[in-house]
Amino acid sequence: MDLIANLGHGFSVALTFNNILFCLIGCIIGTAIGVLPGIGPVATISLLLPITFGQPATTAIIMLAGIYYGAQYGGSTTAILLNLPGEVSSVVTTLEGYKMARRGRAGAALAIAALGSFFAGTVATILVAASGPLLTQVALSFGPADYFSLMFLGLIVSAVLAQGSVVKSIGMVIFGVSLGMVGTDVQTGQQRFTFGIPELSDGVGFVSIAMGMFGIAEIILNLERPESRNVMSGKVGSLMMTRTEFKRAVPAVLRGTAVGSMLGILPGGGAALSSFASYMMERKISKGRHEFGTGAIEGVAGPESANNAASQTSFIPLLTLGIPANAVMALMVGALIIQGIQPGPRMVEAQPDLFWGLIASMWVGNMMLLVINLPMVGMWVKLLSVPYRHMYPSIMIFCAIGVYSLQNNVFDVYQTVFFGIFGYLCSKLRLEAAPMLIGFVLGPMMEEHLRRAMLLSRGDWAVFIERPISATMLAIAAVALIAMLLPAIRKGKDAALQEGG
Amino acid sequence: MKPNTRDIVSAGILLSFALVGLLINGGLFGLGWEQHAIGTARRMGPGYMPMLGFWILMGLGLAVLVIGLFNGPEPLDRWTKSEVVFLVLGAVTGTAAGLAAARMPGWLGAGWNALGIGLFIGCMVVSVVESWRPLFLVSAAFALFGLVLEPLGFIVAITASVVLSSFADKTHRPLGVAGLVLFLCALCWFVFIWYLNIRVPVWPEFGR
Repeated sequence: MDLIANLGHGFSVALTFNNILFCLIGCIIGTAIGVLPGIGPVATISLLLPITFGQPATTAIIMLAGIYYGAQYGGSTTAILLNLPGEVSSVVTTLEGYKMARRGRAGAALAIAALGSFFAGTVATILVAASGPLLTQVALSFGPADYFSLMFLGLIVSAVLAQGSVVKSIGMVIFGVSLGMVGTDVQTGQQRFTFGIPELSDGVGFVSIAMGMFGIAEIILNLERPESRNVMSGKVGSLMMTRTEFKRAVPAVLRGTAVGSMLGILPGGGAALSSFASYMMERKISKGRHEFGTGAIEGVAGPESANNAASQTSFIPLLTLGIPANAVMALMVGALIIQGIQPGPRMVEAQPDLFWGLIASMWVGNMMLLVINLPMVGMWVKLLSVPYRHMYPSIMIFCAIGVYSLQNNVFDVYQTVFFGIFGYLCSKLRLEAAPMLIGFVLGPMMEEHLRRAMLLSRGDWAVFIERPISATMLAIAAVALIAMLLPAIRKGKDAALQEGG
Repeated sequence: MKPNTRDIVSAGILLSFALVGLLINGGLFGLGWEQHAIGTARRMGPGYMPMLGFWILMGLGLAVLVIGLFNGPEPLDRWTKSEVVFLVLGAVTGTAAGLAAARMPGWLGAGWNALGIGLFIGCMVVSVVESWRPLFLVSAAFALFGLVLEPLGFIVAITASVVLSSFADKTHRPLGVAGLVLFLCALCWFVFIWYLNIRVPVWPEFGR
């Protein structure tokens, strides 16, 4: 079996000392920020991007990935014990998890959250490993027109699934695409929108945008809100589940894993959406649905499995097609490009260490997280006693040095200030920053494919409809758009996202 | 008609961005500076994709505007008079300070220092109003870090910007801030100097 040989190769990469160490560091940081409200995986990963550039690409991505799925584990801890979602993706876990804790079953809730996540992570790892090479084969037959349409679809779907107004989100996507046009035009070498600033000839700083819009803007918004953290009082209790609890949790974990794996692949999907979808599903079809609202274990097991599965399968479009499904994946693209690797279907063959090493490390990381989280829950909860007034200057300083260290240029620092203020403005106006970041990453690639496609078709726009793959993508995008413009479906989505967070 | 202020302001941002972009780029019926060659659909010039993008953005901005006129009412938080006054004052003094610094000889006008000075002074002026402090004091501290880093080294830069940013939160105590500064200096030295070995002065270097 090719798969087994490849996975073996992956483990040989993932189990080198350096990679294990950075996987562990990533998982620990991920758990920590998962526990702490007020800083999410997007902000953390953009914060730590500059630090990873000294590492080989594989190690860097392994660590960054660890932060993302580690945050899904950590987020559930505070959700269950304190009714305080550390991450958006664990908002629904508070609904049943905290009720279980109030009944004295906190230990069981934590145990099923961790075990369910581990199971889901394992399944998702296998899924990524199996579908990767397969999708890559398909992707290699894509022409430039197909690629353009695929990216177009990705952008539309990520905007449609984003929170809030669809039109505004698409506006932000295009805004991001336009921002991506700044810099030297690849084909003619002309400077575009640089205003004579040499620092802009490589484009607007990706790290500056990410840090400003997510890091700086986020800490400012958190500062404005008064702090409301209640001190931990509840006891964890026994971690063992009763036999009936276990029996009820198993099907929920299976369903959650399936839902999460599927939604993770969707552009714009990812952890938050899938945990919510899984919760809705459990409330409708699980055996314990009459207990929902009083602490049903299905309401913890399903969503927690789903968000972990999704955080891993969302790597599939990135690794096979080079298309980021959400903001975290957009950061990964940025990290890869700065490392000199162009994400795309050739990555599996050109960078086998990276592809298989990352997959193997996901499983290793899930194993570590199980150990990090279950026996050491108490330690993580203590983290919450760190007040925010100590956190925000630390985040700020890390951003500042990190962004400076990229090119040893203070221009990047000032650029980040601008994006910080702009990001604050955007969030006040409910203009989503995540679609903008995805647009910014995909914009230059879309331009290249568009130009190539039009050159090949001799300037005939019909090529996008004549090629079957491209036509299918565009049709799906159109359906998604029309569906969201129908009032009934839109109201459903809004209600769903509101309840979910 | 129930206007949604939030959407209308958003539309204003998107529309003005698209308009300015088109004026610089070209493709707006021959208006503006037309910096980039558009080319044809078959052989696209550097200005073709930006033109497409800005026109789509223009359309979306209009859509947001039209929707925003009816889907309200959703008023934004009203700014008080002092908030508005100091915001304008900050923008004016910041720009003036930046332009003045750029004309100065020596350190003030060198490199990007003028930009940093303008940002710092502008943000500090707005921070006079208490409700603006989270946003503009953190931004000012960030800009201050950039200004101080190269001439005085990163220990001084961390200290200065942590102390400045601590005024953004009223619950800070002097001892806590001092401890935080020590902790951050140690952590950043360990991560950035010892481990990553980035080229940045640690201590002030005099007489260079």
